Amino acid sequence: MDTSERTEQKAIETTQKEPDSSVIEEEAVYIEPDVDFIIALRKQGGDTLKKCMQCGTCSATCGLSPDTAPFPGKEMAWASWGMKERLLNDPDVWLCYHCNDCSTRCPRGAKPADVLAVVRQESVINNAFPRFFARWINQPQCIPLLLGIPTLLLTLALYFKDSLGEALGMSIPTGDGIIYSYSHVFPHWLLNSFFFFFSALALIVTIIGGVRFWKILDSSVAYRIDKSQPRSLLKSCLKVLGNIITHDDFSTCVASRSRFYSHMCVLFGFGALTFVTIWVITSSINPLAAGDFIYPFNFFSPWKILANIGGVSLLTGVFIMIWERGKENEQIGTGVYFDWAFLFALILVVVTGFATEILHYIRLEPHRHIAYFIHLVFVFTLLMYLPYSKFAHMIYRTIAKVYAEYSGRKVK
Amino acid sequence: MINTNMPILVIGGGIAGITAAVDAAEVGYRVILVEKEAYLGGRVLRMYRYFPKMCPPTCGFEINSRRIRQNPRITVHTLATVDEITGVAGSYTAKIKLQPRYVTGEHAIKDTIINKLTSERANDFNYGLDTTKALYMPHDMAYPPSYVLDRTALSEDDEQMLKAECPPGAIDFNMTEKEITVKAGAIIVATGWRPYDANNLDNLGYGICKNVITNVMMERLAAKSGSAGGEITRPSDGKKIENIAFVQCAGSRDKNHLPYCSAVCCMASLKQARYIREKNPDATVTIFYIDIRTIGREEKFYYEMLEDSNVQFIKGKVAKITQASDDHSLVLDVEDTLSREKLHSGFDMAVLATGMVPNTADAKLPYKTAYDEYGFIDAAKNTDGIYAVGCASRPCDVSRASKAGTGAALKAIQCMMGGE
Repeated sequence: MDTSERTEQKAIETTQKEPDSSVIEEEAVYIEPDVDFIIALRKQGGDTLKKCMQCGTCSATCGLSPDTAPFPGKEMAWASWGMKERLLNDPDVWLCYHCNDCSTRCPRGAKPADVLAVVRQESVINNAFPRFFARWINQPQCIPLLLGIPTLLLTLALYFKDSLGEALGMSIPTGDGIIYSYSHVFPHWLLNSFFFFFSALALIVTIIGGVRFWKILDSSVAYRIDKSQPRSLLKSCLKVLGNIITHDDFSTCVASRSRFYSHMCVLFGFGALTFVTIWVITSSINPLAAGDFIYPFNFFSPWKILANIGGVSLLTGVFIMIWERGKENEQIGTGVYFDWAFLFALILVVVTGFATEILHYIRLEPHRHIAYFIHLVFVFTLLMYLPYSKFAHMIYRTIAKVYAEYSGRKVK
Repeated sequence: MINTNMPILVIGGGIAGITAAVDAAEVGYRVILVEKEAYLGGRVLRMYRYFPKMCPPTCGFEINSRRIRQNPRITVHTLATVDEITGVAGSYTAKIKLQPRYVTGEHAIKDTIINKLTSERANDFNYGLDTTKALYMPHDMAYPPSYVLDRTALSEDDEQMLKAECPPGAIDFNMTEKEITVKAGAIIVATGWRPYDANNLDNLGYGICKNVITNVMMERLAAKSGSAGGEITRPSDGKKIENIAFVQCAGSRDKNHLPYCSAVCCMASLKQARYIREKNPDATVTIFYIDIRTIGREEKFYYEMLEDSNVQFIKGKVAKITQASDDHSLVLDVEDTLSREKLHSGFDMAVLATGMVPNTADAKLPYKTAYDEYGFIDAAKNTDGIYAVGCASRPCDVSRASKAGTGAALKAIQCMMGGE
């Protein structure tokens, strides 16, 4: 009997021993390992997963993991056995915050936190529409393509702005405008409609992913909704929302304690920027937009101040994250490409945003326009690739948390 | 032809070293046995029983100490360390440093004098579970059967009292560290092991929770000559143990501590579970393990324990031990990896099955030799007249250590017969 056979045998024995466990459906199964899936996980940053000896230290250490069918111990076994379906249907991988407490304590250096991060990446790809596009996006060699798409689209839009404007009956300010703005190069109607179109597209794709994920969870073997204690979906949503805002789950982590603050900075900074952006886009139809709240804002307008604080907060948060990752030792692992790509996308958006703002105030032509163009390209990559990148954790983690709450899973 | 003029130097007076020394001496060779502690017997002598026959080590040691005493070819140096080794196989020169014992052994010291002493020291024979007087007999069966004075622990008043009341010449306060030089044809290194320092296991509550002890301490709790007179009670309040946890691989098979398996801890815990079952028949025992590694015939011992309904086996490595609210009981956090359930179980006491660290991990031999990455002497790479044996070369149990001692004696003899 070779090793893999023995492992399988063990798996079968394990499942046979616990026929009455209420959480995981434990019936004798013949496991056919999806070897390609194992290889894919290992290649993308889960290279340590085979070091796992199933001692359970990770699950017992984790402050978030519940008492029944705790993670990440079972996920490590499933990953080793190539049980792709179980992993992709498992909401638990999304309950993990990658705080690395498990990886720090792991006696074998199997880095369960990193393995779960890669499984989350696979889960994002699996739920994304179209899937092949998600697969592309998560490969470093596709960076030129990813930046090329928005560059081309924006260039085309700007090149045809006159004819487009004429066709749509939009006026384009010419010459020295009264306001020193960008509108004669980047007309508002053009950017608004351009970004509205693609945002709507991204939103639709995100919703498709979210619905796919919810369906998967609903049909998964990992949980059964506790019918004896029916819960309100609305209440579950509100509870999860409160939990996200307070960052309660981050405070249980020991190894990466700083993430409580850095994620808060990023989330609230991003929230502030999103809010101001939406205000600007909708200001023409917003009855509340009056006085200092009319776009364009002067430098001391409350919304301008809010946006600037948001930008600084976002940047600070991301820098703390990168700093912490940089000094994280080999026990913890330095994360996977999936994580890094998202962090850099955030940085590039904020840095080019600030560069545009500064160049704007010092009235440097044409630099400010170039900076604005680059900024728009990065904003595009961040928003349009949301359903395919780590940004999607926003939607999947929230859904998984709501599902866990709704299904009566006792998560701390 | 046989070059018996040259003695064999044996470094370490534990079971492996004693066996090598006695076996070589009994076939006619001179042996110099050097022991760092004040007494022979090493770690094995501190066991309550040892497997698989569950016999106390004292009976075997009694025989061995008689063999040493009766054999004029064996010279024993206690409180001695080897500081320098020069030469080649067949002709080594070693410098041995002797720490002062202060007690000359020429006159008996009355118990009444000992009882008057107020200075105490941590009893390292009992792994610090209790204390002894500053002038102490290492243990009941100490060989050499002589008192030792720990001057670092002796108060000024006690020193004056000893000077006044002891027979003249019984204690020599002027005794100093000495160095002697010996010649040897071959050297047997039996420097042994020490338990892994449980203070490094911060998550397992050692040093924080009084009722978290290590496996070696358990031996001294169970032994009649130990700190609790053989009653296995809870260190914090002396309560009889009702339920006890054994935490296997406490710092073993763990890249953050000892990456290797020490080979004996599973058997040690099974054996200690049996102590509990014999001494406290109503007590329940839970053994938390990753894998139970009982090799060869020892598997039978494991199967016998599996039959015992008061002994529970849970597959899962304990991740955390915390003090329960009653200040005595412990809470163990562990995932039962078979039922996939996280447990937070309460116990009176927890025994950490800590592994073996070779003494050569930091105290290297004063001679160029090859070590493996953990500090064990790599026997395969040392082909000259120096032979590592017992736990100096690998973690092993009593019977393997003593068999290795016999083997090393033969190797040393072969070396001397072929030596210049």
